[in-house]
Amino acid sequence: MAAPVKSMDKPPAEFSPLNFTSFQKKSRTKSLSIPGTRPSVQNGQLLVSSGVTSLDYLLGGGLAVGTVLLIEEDRYDSFSRMIFKYFLAEGVVCRHELFVAAAQDDPDDILQELPAPILDDVAIHRPGEQPRMSCEPQDTLDAMKIAWRYQNLPKVQSALASSSRFGHYYDVSKTMEPEIRQAAKWHRFYHPEHPPLSSGTHSPKLESYSALLKSLRDVIQREGFDLTAPLPKSRNILRVGLHSLGSALWGDDLCCYNNPKNVHALTSFLYGLRALLRTSLSVAVVTVPSHLIQDRALMGSITRLCDNAIALESFKGSERETNPLYKDYHGLLHVRQVPRLNCLASHLPDHKDLAFKLKRKQFTIERLHLPPDLSETVSRVSKGELAGAATAAAACSSATSSAKHLDF
Amino acid sequence: MLSELLQGTDVGGFLLIQDSCSYSGRHLLKSFIDAALNREEVVHVLGLDVSEEELKEGLKSFVFQRLHFHDAYADPLGWTDNSPFTVHQFSSSRLTELLKQTAPSKPATLVIDSLSWVLRHISPTAVCHTLQQLKKGGAVRTIIGLLHEDMHSRGIVGSVCRLATSVITVEPGTKGEEALAKITKRSKSGKVTQDEQIFSIRKDLTVTVLSKPTNPGHKRSTTEEQVDPTANLTFNLRLTDAEREAKEKLALPFVFSKEKKTALLHSGPGSGKILYEPDASDDYDQEDPDDDLDV
Repeated sequence: MAAPVKSMDKPPAEFSPLNFTSFQKKSRTKSLSIPGTRPSVQNGQLLVSSGVTSLDYLLGGGLAVGTVLLIEEDRYDSFSRMIFKYFLAEGVVCRHELFVAAAQDDPDDILQELPAPILDDVAIHRPGEQPRMSCEPQDTLDAMKIAWRYQNLPKVQSALASSSRFGHYYDVSKTMEPEIRQAAKWHRFYHPEHPPLSSGTHSPKLESYSALLKSLRDVIQREGFDLTAPLPKSRNILRVGLHSLGSALWGDDLCCYNNPKNVHALTSFLYGLRALLRTSLSVAVVTVPSHLIQDRALMGSITRLCDNAIALESFKGSERETNPLYKDYHGLLHVRQVPRLNCLASHLPDHKDLAFKLKRKQFTIERLHLPPDLSETVSRVSKGELAGAATAAAACSSATSSAKHLDF
Repeated sequence: MLSELLQGTDVGGFLLIQDSCSYSGRHLLKSFIDAALNREEVVHVLGLDVSEEELKEGLKSFVFQRLHFHDAYADPLGWTDNSPFTVHQFSSSRLTELLKQTAPSKPATLVIDSLSWVLRHISPTAVCHTLQQLKKGGAVRTIIGLLHEDMHSRGIVGSVCRLATSVITVEPGTKGEEALAKITKRSKSGKVTQDEQIFSIRKDLTVTVLSKPTNPGHKRSTTEEQVDPTANLTFNLRLTDAEREAKEKLALPFVFSKEKKTALLHSGPGSGKILYEPDASDDYDQEDPDDDLDV
């Protein structure tokens, strides 16, 4: 596979050990070449795009085939649903097969709402582009009068993006054209269509989850995604989207009680799901309304059972909406877990304070950084509040924010 | 936004009124019933919290033929054998049947007073299932439910709120008759709008929406006085305009010419150029470099 994959444009000033390199191992390609996938530069895993290029960068290049991405929903399920739709739309554009399961909305309705892809791909957003050795430096030099030596150094590169054509961009204001959508092959599982066969069984598994797992296994075996079966001529990836697992509409009382009766229902389902995915050419995205789950230990075991896990926290309705620090963003994004697939160390994102913003043509995930504190009239109290808000968003406080409050 | 919700324009939605023991949401619920009856809609009320007389109090009597009250207040669990409606009949099939009996052609508005009583006896998953099926089926135009949020755990309240298209949380206001309503509306496209309004309900069950509440938190940030540190000093830290101009004109000590700047910024590898720029006091004479020597 000699297709040159352009690595991310990192400025020469920065050096980090987990850099993306343009080094391509020339190996005898035993890996499969499926449209819409590419091998990871780090460990050779086959990756698919999640539909959001910033999220791909965060997860180490993309979602590895055979893994599960857990998205902890935000309070009103607006942004997690958006990422869910991006994932499915990417599958339609890359001509993968889809499996959509939902309990609240009909999967047909979800597919009708997919965003339209921007197919000419003119606007590839390159935010960190430096002004290179330009012939007319007049305007750039006049920009900085005193600190002109820093003219060519990179500005703070806040948006995360890699510059390969691996992912696509979508326009949220338009829905996907029916021709593109109907060209995709997809399977559905709508929970109200599968009524429980027997009621009152005291098994640790729930009827709804068992039916879902069985349906998924049937689709994988029938359509030839199973890696244990003999390979058909052309292979494809199955994208599995499971919406709002654990909510009350799936019949699970995980969200309702502090001590739910079916404690192990969702966890045993996820265990079975991961086993099924590892032996097939599929990727799954699962959304869970984690803000309703009271038991933190249970949420921890759900996170451990999935490979990648991110949590979305939207500012709508919370007191953070009025915080001036967050005014450009729609919410915070926390990376809960990154997988260690066939290697000892995982690729960790460089920055832990991440915020997201849903624009019309892009879902950007940016590093949250404090703007320079220029006004001298900011009182001590509010400085502490700003620092508190920033540290609350990250596990470890960033050095820049604490240095500002040193006073000599 | 409260007045738009009272007009009941969106069909197929589930409006949830959340109250607590400090302020009862039943008055607002009755206003909604009144507004629906005035719009010539057929309204079915599942009464579990209060008796029929108490609920009908305040509503005009000529609309009663469109109002159908299913009394589950007297005997909710069916201990006597002839109870008009029991809690266990709260399932979508039974309710659809009930609604079709009275209004076979027009979809009716279903009012549930209150959901808390139903949640006490039936599991939350079954209740959510029923509400979802009623929303999707065609027999019901809108569902309006009352929920006492302090009766249930956060998880149950959250699960029911997830199903609702609009949630109104009522709280007592600052002055006597007024109450504060926090409204969250979820549209079909997934957009969420929120609003806070102060309202009061008159005797004839019409709702008057008063102005938005003044948030004390906002006030603090906007009316904070900008303390000017350059005032009240014994020395002058301010600049007049002429002084500012002179300051701008001053040549900075390390200001280089444009060529020197570009050369320094884009310096090629291994370049050891010496760039000399004569200063104002330098006497640069090409001919005699040692012109100033007095020899």
